[in-house]
Amino acid sequence: MNATETTVRSLLAAANLAPSEEEIAGLVDGYEDYQAGIEMLYAVPEARYASPALIFNAAPVFADWAQ
Amino acid sequence: MAIDSAQRTDIPLTVTEAAASLRAGEVTSVELTSVMIARADVLDPMTGTYVTRFDDYAMAQAQQADADFANGVDKGPFQGIPIGIKDILAMAEGPTTANSLILDRAWGAGKDGPVVSRLKAAGAVITGKLTTSEFAIGSPDETKPFAIPKNPWNLDRSPGGSSAGTGNGIASGLIMAGIGTDTGGSIRIPAAWNGVTGLMPTFGRVPKSGCVPLGYSLDHIGPLARSTRDCAAMLGIIAGYHPSDESCVDRPVDDYLGALTGDLTGMRIGVDYANHFPEQADPALRGCFDAAVATMADLGADIIEVTLPLYDEVTTALWVMMAAEALAYHHNDLSTRWADYYALSRANVSRGALASGSDYVQAARVRRVAQEKLAETFETVDLVAGPTSALGALTHEGMLQRRLGNIMKMVFTGYWDAVGNPALALPMGFTDDGMPLSLQLGARPFEEAIALKAGDAYQTRTDWHLRLPGLLTESMAAAS
Repeated sequence: MNATETTVRSLLAAANLAPSEEEIAGLVDGYEDYQAGIEMLYAVPEARYASPALIFNAAPVFADWAQ
Repeated sequence: MAIDSAQRTDIPLTVTEAAASLRAGEVTSVELTSVMIARADVLDPMTGTYVTRFDDYAMAQAQQADADFANGVDKGPFQGIPIGIKDILAMAEGPTTANSLILDRAWGAGKDGPVVSRLKAAGAVITGKLTTSEFAIGSPDETKPFAIPKNPWNLDRSPGGSSAGTGNGIASGLIMAGIGTDTGGSIRIPAAWNGVTGLMPTFGRVPKSGCVPLGYSLDHIGPLARSTRDCAAMLGIIAGYHPSDESCVDRPVDDYLGALTGDLTGMRIGVDYANHFPEQADPALRGCFDAAVATMADLGADIIEVTLPLYDEVTTALWVMMAAEALAYHHNDLSTRWADYYALSRANVSRGALASGSDYVQAARVRRVAQEKLAETFETVDLVAGPTSALGALTHEGMLQRRLGNIMKMVFTGYWDAVGNPALALPMGFTDDGMPLSLQLGARPFEEAIALKAGDAYQTRTDWHLRLPGLLTESMAAAS
């Protein structure tokens, strides 16, 4: 078992998910590309001091959607 | 496989035409709805459009619409028009399934979400709940008790997703318009692959409460129909603030139909070649796209080459955040009912476990940077054009063999979900083997009217959006 497979198995177990061996193999297969893409996010220079596109509202409106 | 010849076969194709015919007394809503029901009896077993049909309810609503017309009550362009609702939006008349064994049927039971409520108030005739990819993220699974949706242009092909039933239902003539949702492309991919028109509005333009979530920061509800004009009319009904959706923006709803002047003089249309023509693209794609651009130039638009900023990074950010947000929603059920999920649903959602919390926040920071850079691009253009998909509809086997991430490298929709801008997908031609190809127009936030204006003008010069699949034309011919 290589490091990638160990990592994927650990992450899935930590999330309490139990894919089949075939499904784990599929996730392992794509993991390095996925991580490479994520590393690209940290390489965006303008993001160094950017705020995330996430807003916490300290005074939300609570309303039922049901009509 | 003839449709009952007692039903009219000369009904209008578009909502706009049907609305005029209703008011001219040339057709009734009962006739329109009867034809849709008769077609569904014949074609739905092949297309897998519906999860639940509301035939009796629809006929009652059609009768009410006709009575309202007779009494001088006119609720607007969708009064008496048969439409469908993607089966992740709550509607009081029937269960919401999300095409899943998982979703608690008590969720939303007996309730209408804001979008459904607005369409009912507009007099629309809702014929049923439409097939979706499971929880808007899976692909069909033959081991599960739900119909497999198919493409009416070729039943061996996928209709795309996740708003599969909305897309193939319009193309098959089972509904005249419908509601879809879009988190990574799920309005625009079925629009593209079924040869119909679909609009993803700006994030927050249409309330997404009363809809099963996939990506809390990415979900959009929007219209599909045959034409841009029909989509504009539907958007005018469903758009607008609702306090139950914290992401919904409180700003006036534009006059989308009033924006459709047919003249693109002075409109600056950016064309992104760099990100939209991979090696594996269909051979017919570039020719169809160039012809579409030429048509818009002939309508008065100025064409400028642009490159969407941070394209690959934004696409990655989309998947990191979507998977994490989806896993939060599905965590408990995935932990205890893994096998009840479709195979590709659980594969896609479980990717949320493979990125960290800081990865999620970094993705959100990159989305913010991309929004700023894209705003700079939109200082030089009013729209950005590209194909919606590099390929026509894939085969069912092709869909199942590819990971979602690989499929999404061949479609160009996710970028616009991630930045939150509106994007319109409309037919622009066919592949050499007869599958629809689609043009995508991205606009500034809350400038849906600009995209709709360009799409409508293009559709005054072309008829791609009026082409019908053989499945429908052959059945109609046999009946007449």
